[in-house]
Amino acid sequence: MIRCLLLLIISLALFSCSTKIVSTNYYQEHRGTVDSIESRYEKLNTIKPFSLAFTDKEFNIVSIEMTSDTLTRIYEFNFSEKRLADTLLKYNYDTTGVFYLIRKMQLTKVTWVNSFDYYINDQPRQLIILSIKPKTIRYLFSPPKYIALAYFRTSQSFDEKGRLLDGRRSKVIRKIKGQVFYRITDRICYTIMEKYR
Amino acid sequence: MRTQLKLISITFLFFIAANQKGSAADFFGEIISTKEEALAFVDKIDRAKQNLLWPNVKPSLFYDNLKLNLEKPGSFYPGRSTNFCSYGALSYLVMEKDPLGYVKFMNELYEKGESSFNNNHFKPSKEVMKAAGTLKFKGVLDVRHAEQMWFLVLADKFKGYLNLFHRKFREGDENTFWAATNLGKFDRMVSKMLSTHVTAVGSDLIKPWVKDVYSYLEKRMNDKIVSLYINNQIIHKKNHDKIKFSIPTHYIILKNIRKVDDKITLRYWDYGGDTEMQISPGTLKKIIFGIISIDK
Repeated sequence: MIRCLLLLIISLALFSCSTKIVSTNYYQEHRGTVDSIESRYEKLNTIKPFSLAFTDKEFNIVSIEMTSDTLTRIYEFNFSEKRLADTLLKYNYDTTGVFYLIRKMQLTKVTWVNSFDYYINDQPRQLIILSIKPKTIRYLFSPPKYIALAYFRTSQSFDEKGRLLDGRRSKVIRKIKGQVFYRITDRICYTIMEKYR
Repeated sequence: MRTQLKLISITFLFFIAANQKGSAADFFGEIISTKEEALAFVDKIDRAKQNLLWPNVKPSLFYDNLKLNLEKPGSFYPGRSTNFCSYGALSYLVMEKDPLGYVKFMNELYEKGESSFNNNHFKPSKEVMKAAGTLKFKGVLDVRHAEQMWFLVLADKFKGYLNLFHRKFREGDENTFWAATNLGKFDRMVSKMLSTHVTAVGSDLIKPWVKDVYSYLEKRMNDKIVSLYINNQIIHKKNHDKIKFSIPTHYIILKNIRKVDDKITLRYWDYGGDTEMQISPGTLKKIIFGIISIDK
């Protein structure tokens, strides 16, 4: 009996199914909220660059990276700590705006928001990435899964399978952080990752 | 499965390589050249010449990048999602010591396809020469063709046990074990490129046996340049799992450390600029796998 149980556990560990995301249509179900998080972040980030991440499963601990020309400051706070507001104020961030964003991220389970620079014909472009911690069914030893949404400012090119391409005339698949992204709209695409950033 | 096999092999090789000596006999204590000398050299170069040896390197981006490296030595950016961080830390040190040596080396490498830096001869493979200038979606590294060349050439030249099964460059290898750097390799690289005395405590899997890490670092920083080999994933969490395989992943140059109450503030250089971070003494001990002291 014990041997059978052990065999079952080992089999599960070795050949177990991968983590399954419960919702198959996350973006359509939460479109309004995630789009508003992206647009609010874009506005705030243009004024003073920063990124936000929730580093705990309960969405209480916020890691904030504040970037200036000369220095990146990384701090981690509990959302209820007064130090968070003090720090934002000290470095001239829009405290109300950032707090609103954090609250929205908490409610929608957006675990990370950040902006990326990339280059087309040697000219800089920017995209925003939102990572979401969806409801999942996880098996023993199976890795976590996150949905990453990439918001481009302009229309992108995709192949017949909906994979993001390097450019209009290119057949090369563009990978972001080593991942293939798939089309949602002309400007928004997604991927499933084992890491949220 | 492939990853598991690789990990087992690497763990095995680690024990063989654990005795690698992290120190160099030579001692070099002075700056070799100045930024002004290097800028004067760059200004005399004909920047329009394209070289077919490096088919994807654009001369304008290459020379603009060299100039930027001189004007802002801390701007070296090893790229997003690459394994170039150790070469980034090395670049920071090279620019402190010998900026003229760096630009002369890069200029000759671009013109002739081979060159020497501090008696280390570099003759990169054809694959590497073809790849320079093609790295994309790495942030600002995309348009920094001199840095792409420099990082690729360093990774092609210096090898450690982590590169044993992955010696030849293939497309995308800037993100793989081909470019990875173990502690022994980093020490050797710094020592050879700068002809300076390097000592290190710690290893690739076991943390250094230092009782009070803060005091140790503070003392070391008085007369040495200190580089740290850290597990970046503890401070830069990437998932919410509590059980994590703790291995070092990142090299930084420590610039300042101070302690107020029970909070330690670290200021360090990595990825093109300074970062300041507050952590607890416990976290400091948890993240550090190697403390590398480099003679000034």
